[in-house]
Amino acid sequence: MAQDPLQQIYDVIVVGSGATGGWAAKRLSEAGLKVALLEAGRSVSAKEFTEHMPSFQLKYRNHSPEIMRTRPVQRQCYACMEYNYEWFVNDLENPYSTPADKPFSWQRLRILGGRSLVWGRQSYRLSDVDFKAASRDGYDTDWPISYADLAPYYDIVEGYVGITGAAEGDQMLPDGKFLPPMKMSCGEIRLRESVKKNFGRTLTIGRAAILTQPHNGRAPCHYCGPCERGCFTYSYFSSPFTTVRDALKTGRCTLITDAIVSHVDMDSSANKARGVTFVHRATKETKQIRGKAVVLCAQSLESTRILLNSSTREYPNGLANSSRMLGHHLMDHVVGGGASGTFEDLKTVPSANPPHRPNGIYLVRFRNTPAEGKHPHFIRGYGFQGGAEPQFNLNASGIGADYKKAVKLGNYGVSLGAFGESLANFDNFCEIDPDLKDAWGIPALRISMTHGKNEAALMHDAGMTAAEMLEAAGARDVRVTTGTEMPGMAVHEVGTARMGNDAKKSVLNGFCQSHDVSNLVVADGSCFVSSACQNPTLTMMALCVRASDHLIERFKRNEV
Amino acid sequence: MSNPGTTIIIREVEFPPEVVLSEKKSQLRSFLISRRALIRSALALSATTAMRGLPFAQAVEAGLTPAARGEDGSKFLSDPNWKPTFLNDQQNETLIALSDVIIPTTDTPGAKEALVNRFLDLLLSIEPAESQRQFTGALASMDRESQKQFGKDFHELAIQDQVWLVTPWSYPADADPWVGEESSSNSVQQHFLRLKRLIAYAYYGSEIGQKELGWDGEFTHGPYEGCEHEDDKHT
Repeated sequence: MAQDPLQQIYDVIVVGSGATGGWAAKRLSEAGLKVALLEAGRSVSAKEFTEHMPSFQLKYRNHSPEIMRTRPVQRQCYACMEYNYEWFVNDLENPYSTPADKPFSWQRLRILGGRSLVWGRQSYRLSDVDFKAASRDGYDTDWPISYADLAPYYDIVEGYVGITGAAEGDQMLPDGKFLPPMKMSCGEIRLRESVKKNFGRTLTIGRAAILTQPHNGRAPCHYCGPCERGCFTYSYFSSPFTTVRDALKTGRCTLITDAIVSHVDMDSSANKARGVTFVHRATKETKQIRGKAVVLCAQSLESTRILLNSSTREYPNGLANSSRMLGHHLMDHVVGGGASGTFEDLKTVPSANPPHRPNGIYLVRFRNTPAEGKHPHFIRGYGFQGGAEPQFNLNASGIGADYKKAVKLGNYGVSLGAFGESLANFDNFCEIDPDLKDAWGIPALRISMTHGKNEAALMHDAGMTAAEMLEAAGARDVRVTTGTEMPGMAVHEVGTARMGNDAKKSVLNGFCQSHDVSNLVVADGSCFVSSACQNPTLTMMALCVRASDHLIERFKRNEV
Repeated sequence: MSNPGTTIIIREVEFPPEVVLSEKKSQLRSFLISRRALIRSALALSATTAMRGLPFAQAVEAGLTPAARGEDGSKFLSDPNWKPTFLNDQQNETLIALSDVIIPTTDTPGAKEALVNRFLDLLLSIEPAESQRQFTGALASMDRESQKQFGKDFHELAIQDQVWLVTPWSYPADADPWVGEESSSNSVQQHFLRLKRLIAYAYYGSEIGQKELGWDGEFTHGPYEGCEHEDDKHT
């Protein structure tokens, strides 16, 4: 019988096994450190993947009453389906509150790999236009790091994960180490050329964490389509079958599933974290695990909740919160602006069969760039994601044989949807709700966030520019949306434990290390200073690897 | 349920050997076999770990959706003893007749064969009361119009009379700027279009409907090739 894993002292306790936690576990254990990796959910197996199951075999064809009953929030996520809803948290067991006039959609998974199992896979680097945005427009503060600091870590992450994409040389979106790009459709090529010629803007094929050639022992994409239901060739990046697996292979990483971490335990006399307390998911027993350092990778809001629930006499407002910034500056990309139309002159041959390209197109941010200058109505900017392809036309007129024919003839749809920067705002925050606990007795969050005027202006502008670009490319029947969806719907929440050089104004330093507690690291999206408009996961992973390497150096220097 | 009482320690994540997908369809068969082999090896691994005292198998069995357990949830549709659970017999007959008019059997099977009424009955049984009322109200309006013009319920009409009745409703109406939302949203045409949308959704979502759209059951046909035009016309 092996030693009881809870009676040992680990070098590092990593909380969370998703995109960042997997990287922390891999990096630290490969450097020789003894790691315990804690996951709140169960393990996952390729046996439960459903990517090849036709939707007519779902009893309710994705309208399962079980989802309605147990996942009223989670079902707002496009990836939460009758196929895989058990991967998402049960909302009845995992409550949170919001003010009545500030709805927030908190979409999350508790299972080995977390949201990396169902993520959108879009992977874009931030640039110095993002890291030093405050210096240009005077809003809020710059990041404590620059692109040069992070570029080597982007290289490491991209080299391992495998990102398909095309280099464009656009300063707003630094190029990376790409696997061969996926192909574009006729409509997309037409839009790309029109956008370049008429507006001088860059439209590129999506940069995605999906393999287009064999890579690190994983096979390339077979274009079946629905990655969020799993992939039995592991062609899209998810942590259980990559980083976590590597960590376990070292023999120095112990994975503990069903461990719902409630708080970080402190050694108050030394002012150091000495481990974490968790509740066992099934038995609800409380247990402790000890480590010389603690790395939180539980996802922004969840890591913040753990710290807020870890108050001590020395830190009465939440652990590592002497700055009173913990929980504040919550951001989530604003979505809702965009346009769609049809290319009536393009031949339509819609197909119900694969290949289905699990990737779209990306239109690089063109507002408030160094080249274009300041926009009169808003700061920062947005990027577009979308696509153009033949589609079946169930809305065709008529009945009978003519209708059946018209449905199959279809039309050639084209669409662009914006992801806009969400400004860091102290008044967008989360705190502990004193009257609400989850099913394990752990105090729950109260989330208070709204998109402001700048975000509304971004989406208004995005609707307009999308329509202009589609019409210039020859699209007809163009429809525009200019609203803002509720925060949380982009599932890009970041920023609640911001990094900075000033310990009075930030929670973490540039290496994701707590200013207050030297052996506490928060290496997920909560460290973001600004949201930029690019999908954040690639940057989170790069920051996490940088934070892990810094921690390894400190172990080597005996500083931990 | 995951094993109560002990902390679950996972020492390895199931990771079957690398699978190389052939781009050639002729090799799909061996690929499918290897998929089954993978499942077997995965099961074997679970069994071994379970024997070693690691409750891996129990852990992964917990909390699986019916789909993840591999259940075909569509079987109830073809049950010979099927009875509607939400619709009454009259409403069911109206729905079958209407679905057959909108998506008839041609050289391919239609909505009646796709058992569109049965699937919609299931969905309606779990819908909020307001949606249920809207649906049954729309069905009733078909009968009302049929009674007005023919003195019979819709499902009792000859097929050519059913077609005659609904065809004008199936085309977009010209917008009248002086007609407010209220009068149009519950017009018989709006009722018809709502029913048509749901019937089309249920038909094209069925196995018969997917085959109507050309679906062949294969999950891969090689990589996405995109535009294959040599010139830059893209037409």
